[in-house]
Amino acid sequence: RELTLNLSLRIIQIRVTGLLPSQLIMLQASLTDERGELFQSQVFYKADENGEVDLEHAGALGGDYVGIHPMGLFWSMKPKKMLSRLLKRDVINSPFLVHLSVYDITKPFSSSPDSLMASETVERWYSTPGVQRIQLKEGRVRGALFLPPGDGPFPGVIDLFGGIGGLVEFRASLLASHGFATLALAYFAYDDLPKNLDVIDIEYFEEAADILLRHPKVLGPSIGIVSVSRGAQIGMAMATFLKQVAATVCINGVFLAEQVVIKYRNEKFFSFSQHLERLRINELGLLAFYSAVGNPQEEANKHGLLPVERAEGHILFIVGEKDYSVNSKIHAEQVMEQLRRHGKNNATLLSYPGAGHLIEPPYSPLCVASMNPFIPRPVLWGGETIPHAEAQEHSWKEILKPSYSEVLHFSPVSPG
Amino acid sequence: MVQLIVTPETALADEPICIRATGLNPFQVVTFTASLTDEKGKLFQSRAFYKANEAGNVALDQAAALGGDYVGVHPMGLFWSLKPVNPFRRLLKQDVMNSPFYIQLDIFDSLLLEDSPKIHPKASQMIERWFSGPGLQRIPVRNGRVRGAFFLPPGEGPFPGVIDLFGGIGGLIEFRASLLASHGFGVLALAYFAYEDLPRSLLEVDLEYFEEAANMLLHHPQIQRSGIGVISVCKGAEIGLAMAIHLEQVAATICINGTNAVHETPCKYRDLVISPIPHQKEYTQIHVSGALNFRRIKGDPRDEVNQQSVLPVEKARGHILFIVGEKDECLNSKAYAEQAMEQLKSHGRSNGTLLSYPGAGHLIEPPYSPLCFASWNPFLSRPFLWGGDIRSHAAAQEHSWREIQKFLRCHLAPSRSKL
Repeated sequence: RELTLNLSLRIIQIRVTGLLPSQLIMLQASLTDERGELFQSQVFYKADENGEVDLEHAGALGGDYVGIHPMGLFWSMKPKKMLSRLLKRDVINSPFLVHLSVYDITKPFSSSPDSLMASETVERWYSTPGVQRIQLKEGRVRGALFLPPGDGPFPGVIDLFGGIGGLVEFRASLLASHGFATLALAYFAYDDLPKNLDVIDIEYFEEAADILLRHPKVLGPSIGIVSVSRGAQIGMAMATFLKQVAATVCINGVFLAEQVVIKYRNEKFFSFSQHLERLRINELGLLAFYSAVGNPQEEANKHGLLPVERAEGHILFIVGEKDYSVNSKIHAEQVMEQLRRHGKNNATLLSYPGAGHLIEPPYSPLCVASMNPFIPRPVLWGGETIPHAEAQEHSWKEILKPSYSEVLHFSPVSPG
Repeated sequence: MVQLIVTPETALADEPICIRATGLNPFQVVTFTASLTDEKGKLFQSRAFYKANEAGNVALDQAAALGGDYVGVHPMGLFWSLKPVNPFRRLLKQDVMNSPFYIQLDIFDSLLLEDSPKIHPKASQMIERWFSGPGLQRIPVRNGRVRGAFFLPPGEGPFPGVIDLFGGIGGLIEFRASLLASHGFGVLALAYFAYEDLPRSLLEVDLEYFEEAANMLLHHPQIQRSGIGVISVCKGAEIGLAMAIHLEQVAATICINGTNAVHETPCKYRDLVISPIPHQKEYTQIHVSGALNFRRIKGDPRDEVNQQSVLPVEKARGHILFIVGEKDECLNSKAYAEQAMEQLKSHGRSNGTLLSYPGAGHLIEPPYSPLCFASWNPFLSRPFLWGGDIRSHAAAQEHSWREIQKFLRCHLAPSRSKL
């Protein structure tokens, strides 16, 4: 039970001492988010012969996870109000406060209160001290630029989220805490941007890339992209058309222009590949979209396929095999196949069994379903708690691997 | 003109019906929905998307649903895929005699994910699903210690007698008893705790109470004298198995998703007291939905220390049918049933049968009952996980109900004068 100030990415050590040998306890983590929503995890442990429970070594017997998982209390938190998603809005001025408590269990899950034995509060920050946040409103471009502390220059990254719209900043601020000048870029349902996403105009994203590259603290000549879901579709299109893009991370995207037209200058891509009659409703009434988007290998969809072979930089596909909103695996594999056919080998695919759609930075709780403002029913994102947590830890390390920032440093300048 | 044709419009809840739509545009995508408001005013709904054929027809016994609550050819899919609009509610008919479930079937000529006041169905049909057949009698029972409801078919009889036992939620659940009685059995839905003046919570199982009920049933003038049956689920099935072993009145027992040992509450019969295997609540798991999974809290009957709690199933005189859902998240019913079958075999007995259903969950009910995957429990602060894959669970319900009736008719036939 230690440590106070902490970046949300850091592992913390939790140890309970002073118990009776073999005593059964419940460890609980609680967090109230900025909207007042409660998130909690509860896990049962048995003290060892010294009356200690050290999460580094002790296996949980039951609760929100089983087995040895030192950070499990964080990534297994669930909202009290179902379908809430944990999403930090203010990433600079305040942390999430996580209350860790130890209870003696007599009657778990009954309405009688258990006896609280000890507690501690931990802060989980989304930026390190010195990270600067600069609101961006230049030309058409809207977003927030996060600069690492110091003079730089720093490799530039554009961070794109998905179909919830608005501006999601927490991953960008974390990337900035790791030394990247990161632009969290909005593209619809934010400020004076269009309310709905009908067309993806890559020239808007090119404008953003150029603004980022012009900043005195951003190291050129190229940028990277970290993108998820609908954002990954855009990230792939940026990688395809924009010479400024040297490294792209695409998490659980669909790389076919379905439902929305993708355009760049005088080229347009679209195929009417949505089959909403194939939507599935699961046993808890949650909506699974994965069958509703067409198979990229189908003949009917060829006009929606992006000319990905034009991409010059490196692409990293991150795929959750239990993604119920998109069949991300077949879409990533189709792009890999298209690149191979054109003699290119500039892409890598990391496929995680058990991971769902919302693969986020490490220790983020699994959000298996939530409400999307544009869809009438809750959307099933999928994922199994433990494999999803492991996928988040592993993929984040891969995203930050030095090879990517190397690519950003040494990619050749191309005119135009 | 679009028409929705349903036959029959009024039926027993365990009977299939024929649904088809005509007058649509060829190859048009349509939405079928079913809506039911239960006795507490809670709404349950299902929907499925179909494509009309070239004649503009959709017949649910031939057409495959493309999406929605189920896919494929499932003539009764709209019924077994009904879901509560507020999750974790269980559909359970309370008044089984005087009213049916009213289900409104609608067809829309577009893909409809959610009800909208602006969009009206092209055709509708209200149907009735009854839990009792014509002429069925319900007699409340307050006889000695026995509490429950007795369902008697029309006619003179004598009818095979059956005791119906539900599980750990207590109270009195009647819908399965009334449906079974509508197929020609005299069924006593028997409460054993949290009902009228019975104990509030289940602290022990006293088999003499169940024996009193069995004798009461056997002595009814319209019930066969040769022996009774028991149909039981969950905790009721643990009791049912104990009854099969200790009560000579029991000729046929159906144990649905039960155990082969005494757990948590002691079981006694006259001088015999069987001490239970205690629950280990620290092994409770929390499902991604937040629902509690109790599957691992029951100790292993094979452990040396638990041997005195194992029920001596080889002593049962009558026949036992074990029905098991392999996706039961409440308990490891398959393992327990297999252990019981193994125990019978090792004692040279062949009076047990095991029906194991892959994909079925804990709450295996009569056909077309919606899968209840998880529901609120009066004793817990969180919903409780039952488990099951919708489609396999529905198929298991259809198959097992037929087998249950066959089993009871076979082993309760008056010609069998074993007892």
